[in-house]
Amino acid sequence: MIDIRNVYKTFRTPDRREVKALVDFSTSIRKGEVVVIIGPSGSGKSTLLRCLNRLEEIDSGEIIIDGVDIYNRRVNINKIREEIGMVFQLFNLFPHKTVLENITLAQQVVRKRSREEAFEIARGLLHKVGILEKENVYPAQLSGGQQQRVAIARALAMRPKIMMFDEATSALDPEMIGEVLDVMKTLAREGMTMVVVTHEMGFAREVSDRVIFMDEGQIVEEGTAEHFFTNPVHERTKLFLSQIL
Amino acid sequence: MMRQVKGGGAWASPFSFFQRRMGVTFNKRSLITLGIFAIIATTAYYFFTEKGITYIWHWEKIPEMLFYYGPKSADDPAPRFRMGVLMIGFVLTLKISLSSIFFGIIIGTVVGIARLSHEPVTRRLAHAYVELIRNTPLLVQIYIIYFFVGSMLRLSAFAAGTAALSIFAGAYVGEIVRAGIQSIHKGQMEAARSLGMTYAHAMRHVILPQAFKRIIPPLAGQFISLIKDSSLVSVIALADLMFQGQQAVARTYYAFEIYFTVALLYLVMTFTLSMATQYLEMRLAISD
Repeated sequence: MIDIRNVYKTFRTPDRREVKALVDFSTSIRKGEVVVIIGPSGSGKSTLLRCLNRLEEIDSGEIIIDGVDIYNRRVNINKIREEIGMVFQLFNLFPHKTVLENITLAQQVVRKRSREEAFEIARGLLHKVGILEKENVYPAQLSGGQQQRVAIARALAMRPKIMMFDEATSALDPEMIGEVLDVMKTLAREGMTMVVVTHEMGFAREVSDRVIFMDEGQIVEEGTAEHFFTNPVHERTKLFLSQIL
Repeated sequence: MMRQVKGGGAWASPFSFFQRRMGVTFNKRSLITLGIFAIIATTAYYFFTEKGITYIWHWEKIPEMLFYYGPKSADDPAPRFRMGVLMIGFVLTLKISLSSIFFGIIIGTVVGIARLSHEPVTRRLAHAYVELIRNTPLLVQIYIIYFFVGSMLRLSAFAAGTAALSIFAGAYVGEIVRAGIQSIHKGQMEAARSLGMTYAHAMRHVILPQAFKRIIPPLAGQFISLIKDSSLVSVIALADLMFQGQQAVARTYYAFEIYFTVALLYLVMTFTLSMATQYLEMRLAISD
């Protein structure tokens, strides 16, 4: 479903230093697979996600999603993005819109659904993430965990084929992490294709099919979650796991 | 070193010398009150002593400059309620100000977005426009647009005046809009785009509504200035409030009464706008 081939991505800092975010990065993600990406900060995890829906431009290489080379100039990137839901670390809900409006805006503007249809889908999803009673409040009145669940509902409302989570629980108070992870686990069990950047190893162990450990823009080691817990091979992997577990 | 004066805070420190000598404590509010009182007292002194001018007030002539009942001219002899000269000027100033605010918002929004464009030509054109308009006097712009552009395109004085004020306001509004857009967290644009929205949709539904809410205070200031600056169009013989006031003074010599009234009428417009924006701000604060 997703084919990443020899992708290079370099950032230039304001003082003109070059930072290599992705170095000859290649991997494939199957339909329905749940891939967890771990790694130290600055290892290129978030950049990888952001390249998958072209929030960043890449220097070279190819990313093929559903048979479409998304960096081809003739591709309408908006059509690709409709199919890829993204959940951000800082939620990025639209603060001037109510919960319901947050979830219905793109449905109406992008998917051209009628108001009634969009509202019905939104209510269904709010029920799924467990905050139906908050449909008419503004994001500022919600807790972090509730906001992130609304953000997930907003992404799901587009009926995407792929969901990406960029450290979706990192900005949350500890007691709210569980409610967001529960929603993510449900999605994974329903067969959603998921690419998840996270430090939550419990989540990786429970629902992931594959864990990728990245450092300095490359895959250092990949395998099942069980592999990472029992016998990681590389020194860097061992060091990283000893720090976060 | 400056000694901290009780109750004065940092603001009072330049006055600490006087405070020590006179043995009184000033704070900001009492100084302002004192200042206003001094102005009133001085004015009254000059009016009511032999040092001042002898002036016979004719306030009774002012109401008919606002509204009157009677015939207008030989062509229109029907006696009915009519607007006096100052009120006619007031309406024209209101019209020209509101149209300039309207077009100023449109030009400013386009310029503000253009200044953030990835396209270097668009960005530089917008920048050049802002610098050119901001750094030349409005009065000169009004003359250029009226005499040069206006006569080429056969614009009426009203059209030329509105165009000059709109173009002038557009430059300032453009900078305000740009600052407003830049103040919105970039995650908002990314969230909108990641849902498949186009740049235009994201701007219209996500970025601009939030930016607009933030820029209401500076926009209000800009538009209050615009209403006052609109008095400059009287130089191209547009019969606005200022022009009508000047004409009435030339006819009657009631300079004080008329200019006080003109000032009051400008105040009515600007203060109403001020109140309206405060109300709007309050209404938009519900999502905070």
